Amino acid sequence: MVGKDIKVSMIIFSGIFIMNKTEHAIDVINVWKKYGDIVALRGVSITVNEGEIVSLLGPNGAGKTTLISIIVGILRPTKGRVLIYGLDPKNPKARSMIGFCPQEPALNDNLTGRENMMFYARLYGIDGIEAKKRINELLEVVGLSDDADRLVRRYSGGMKRRLSLAITLIPNPKILVLDEPTLGMDPNIRRNIWNIIKEVRKEGKSVLLATHYMEEADELSDRVYIMHEGRIIAEGTPEQLKEIYGPPSVIEIELYRTVDKIEEELRDALGNSIIVKEKLIRAHSRAPDMDVPRVVSCIYKAGGEIKSLKVTKPTLEDVFLKLTGRRLEE
Amino acid sequence: MKWVRIKAFAISYVKAFFRDKASAFWTVAWPLLILILTAYVFIPPSFGKPTTLKVGVVNKDVSSVASFNGTSFVEMLKTLEYNGTKLFNVIVYDNETSLMENLNKGKLDVGMVIPKGFGLNLTYGQALLKVYVSGESTYDLQVNRVIISEFIHGFSREVAVRKLEMMKKYILERISKNVTINTPHGIITLREMAWNFILSIVVPINASIHNVAPKAVMDRPYLLGWYALGAIGMLLLYSGFNIGATTVVEEKEKGRLYRILSTPATEVDMLIGKTIGGLIVLSLSSLIIIVAAITIVHARISWDPFRLVDWLVPLHFLLISLMCIGIGFILSLVAKTVSGASSISTILGLMLAFITGVWFPKSWLPKGLKVLADISPITWSLDVIRDIMIRRATLTEVALPTLKCIIITLMIFLLGVIAYRKAIRKYIEA
Repeated sequence: MVGKDIKVSMIIFSGIFIMNKTEHAIDVINVWKKYGDIVALRGVSITVNEGEIVSLLGPNGAGKTTLISIIVGILRPTKGRVLIYGLDPKNPKARSMIGFCPQEPALNDNLTGRENMMFYARLYGIDGIEAKKRINELLEVVGLSDDADRLVRRYSGGMKRRLSLAITLIPNPKILVLDEPTLGMDPNIRRNIWNIIKEVRKEGKSVLLATHYMEEADELSDRVYIMHEGRIIAEGTPEQLKEIYGPPSVIEIELYRTVDKIEEELRDALGNSIIVKEKLIRAHSRAPDMDVPRVVSCIYKAGGEIKSLKVTKPTLEDVFLKLTGRRLEE
Repeated sequence: MKWVRIKAFAISYVKAFFRDKASAFWTVAWPLLILILTAYVFIPPSFGKPTTLKVGVVNKDVSSVASFNGTSFVEMLKTLEYNGTKLFNVIVYDNETSLMENLNKGKLDVGMVIPKGFGLNLTYGQALLKVYVSGESTYDLQVNRVIISEFIHGFSREVAVRKLEMMKKYILERISKNVTINTPHGIITLREMAWNFILSIVVPINASIHNVAPKAVMDRPYLLGWYALGAIGMLLLYSGFNIGATTVVEEKEKGRLYRILSTPATEVDMLIGKTIGGLIVLSLSSLIIIVAAITIVHARISWDPFRLVDWLVPLHFLLISLMCIGIGFILSLVAKTVSGASSISTILGLMLAFITGVWFPKSWLPKGLKVLADISPITWSLDVIRDIMIRRATLTEVALPTLKCIIITLMIFLLGVIAYRKAIRKYIEA
């Protein structure tokens, strides 16, 4: 009996120990959000651990921005709760721990880059020499030192994005919440921003990244939550997700030109999921040795000309297609 | 609430405001423009000086029979001055046809035809004079008619008095001093009674007329001072409305609201910071208008730092600004975009400036609008400012209206704050 009590106590003790030890950077517990009759979030639960990059992957309208607005304390959930290192997001201490980068660069076009940074520095309570020093450091990090004193209305889209990211880093936050930070950016700028995010992670910061770019989630994330219609429909590392939910293989074809109704033709021929992005086709396949000849024949019949064909591994977009029957960009 | 956050909102607001060309135009350039236009078009530098009439004369009396003839009359017209201003700009014509032609074309204000024997008749009998009055408008015609009639009546009266003096010298002096007569005023000589009686025929009422209107309406610099304060009132109205109406919607439209609210800054920090920023913008703009009014249009605006009551002027400017920003917050509830908020603010502000006695004096307004002006707290405050700066009102005179203005400002601003918080909720949940 005594031995059993000791065992129970140990379990309770170790449970408390584990709870303290594994206190999450972000804890979202069964969060619901309703706008009138519209249900934007339906019982979402996610966690972000310290030093981890977690992506929320989902198409537009999946509820990512609403969830992020609740996490950073702008919106209140209709039901459920959010904790930032155990604190309510409305708590000023919690807010000081978060650096939020919204979808839009959210800058004042009539201020210079430096003035925009100073504005946000002051909102975080940083002023004077300390603020100037921090701003100079961050301008260096994002490569905007030479343009810092130009009005933001004269900045390119990429420069605005970099400045926006620099602003996110002003309070030296423990958590970065990034809502589509590379939306609409060209590949070079996107990679540039990815590098900055990777550097930030090295400093032990946690990152929650909302994106609908599967390459972004694939490249950066330790874990990915896939969101669809206000729900989390899958969670895991990119590899786990591909292994569990993805097709065994993907036949990737590049055409010389686009072909009308090719998606329907291939779907009829293969009976599998197909993604067509202009001249690029990705066809899910369980048996590529049997499917490749059928795909080639179908394309030629439809009047298409193949530039290249290869059999590859699935991506997160294939996972999403498999799970929802829809493409991420739909 | 932390001062550094309030400072962030205030500083960035002021910088961004003056870098935005449209805001700078409406807040500084437009009131200045309207003031300068008023000063040089509606109240020109010639304001308050006598009008000089263009007079065309056909003189047919050039004979030298009498010592005073038509030519003497024309010369006199040419030299007449009042307070250093020539009354008539005389152009001599050879014939009546060309005189009438130019009158019809509006090139002349007055036409005169001096007939033969004018001088002789003036000396020994009654002289005839044909006068034609013209004018570019009914108002000009009336003014020209009054001026020339006044001159002719005045001149006739002077001639009559001179003639009377001659009559006294050559006729009345012949009546014996000893002949007396009993009158209600007592016993006077017949000579004296005859003189008084004939003088009363020529000048039955010897009226003395003096201008006693307030200096503000008599004197151009004071009048311009009145309008300069009106220009400030106007800018406070629409810019104040605009500042309040765009505070939240601008942050929402530019996508900054979410980011701001994700920081430790609160809605109250933003409200106070932006209000302070708005007050700085309005104070700087008002100061620019005052300096420009004094240096460019030479308006007279008196402010004496050693006079206690004069310190109520900045207080009232503050009250008007707060009232307008507060009303702007209320307007933000109906505005969905920055351009919508700006349009509502500008239209409403300009309209109120013109119909509530801010720009045009209340006495010019029709009865209905006068009621509107009387119930407008913005006009109450502006009236107090004008009373102090132009009419040099005392503390006792303006104490009660000031108290009324303070109470109403607090009420309006409080309603504005409620509206501001509603607007933020509306935009966040949108």
